[in-house]
Amino acid sequence: MATKRRNLYLYLTLLCFFGLIAIFIVDGYMGVYDTVYVTAGEREQKIESDVWLREDKFWSSGVNRGEKAFFRYEVDNRRFSGYTADIEASLWRSQEKVRDLISQPLAIDAFGKGQLEWVIDTTELVPSDAPPEQSYEYTVIIKREQLERDVIIYINPAPYPLKVVPAPPRVD
Amino acid sequence: MKLEYVLFGFGILFCLAGVGYLAAEYVKNLSEIGKLVSLLMTVAMFAFLSKYFEDIGW
Repeated sequence: MATKRRNLYLYLTLLCFFGLIAIFIVDGYMGVYDTVYVTAGEREQKIESDVWLREDKFWSSGVNRGEKAFFRYEVDNRRFSGYTADIEASLWRSQEKVRDLISQPLAIDAFGKGQLEWVIDTTELVPSDAPPEQSYEYTVIIKREQLERDVIIYINPAPYPLKVVPAPPRVD
Repeated sequence: MKLEYVLFGFGILFCLAGVGYLAAEYVKNLSEIGKLVSLLMTVAMFAFLSKYFEDIGW
């Protein structure tokens, strides 16, 4: 009787252990996950899908005025079936759409990855008569089915040019 | 008998390492209900394991 009960505890322990493994595989690993990579300057930022579970928007690091921001949107299909979705990315400012960045379908095989790339050129966004000390913010909205990913792009103010102060005349 | 304990020890260590790795890598992707059930199963696992060791005389 004692041996039977002892074995029961061991089996229940094993059941919980394999249950845990099953939950992590089915709920934690399986599914469709997306990752956004933003490269500005020499720095690449990786924004994983769990970031949007914690907050609505992601603040990317700044892009220098006159430079480009390179976006890579990667979708990881961890399912036994293929995955197809229309991906749309657009640029917004003050709740108004500035331009469409990309719009195309993405088909991924089972346990495969697919990616789309686009570039944001800050020279096309900042007005030519903008004062150098002014910074700008734009929101990149990426839509995949019902999901929406927002990334705020901050365009740094231009550095002030060095002013050469003439040396005062010598008075002997 | 002592060899059994050593093997049990190794088994437990490997189990904990496996669950620890999965937790570190994939817990961020778990749904809320998945997290709750995982927590309950972890508690239950250690409770049953404790009872098992208690029964074998540890």
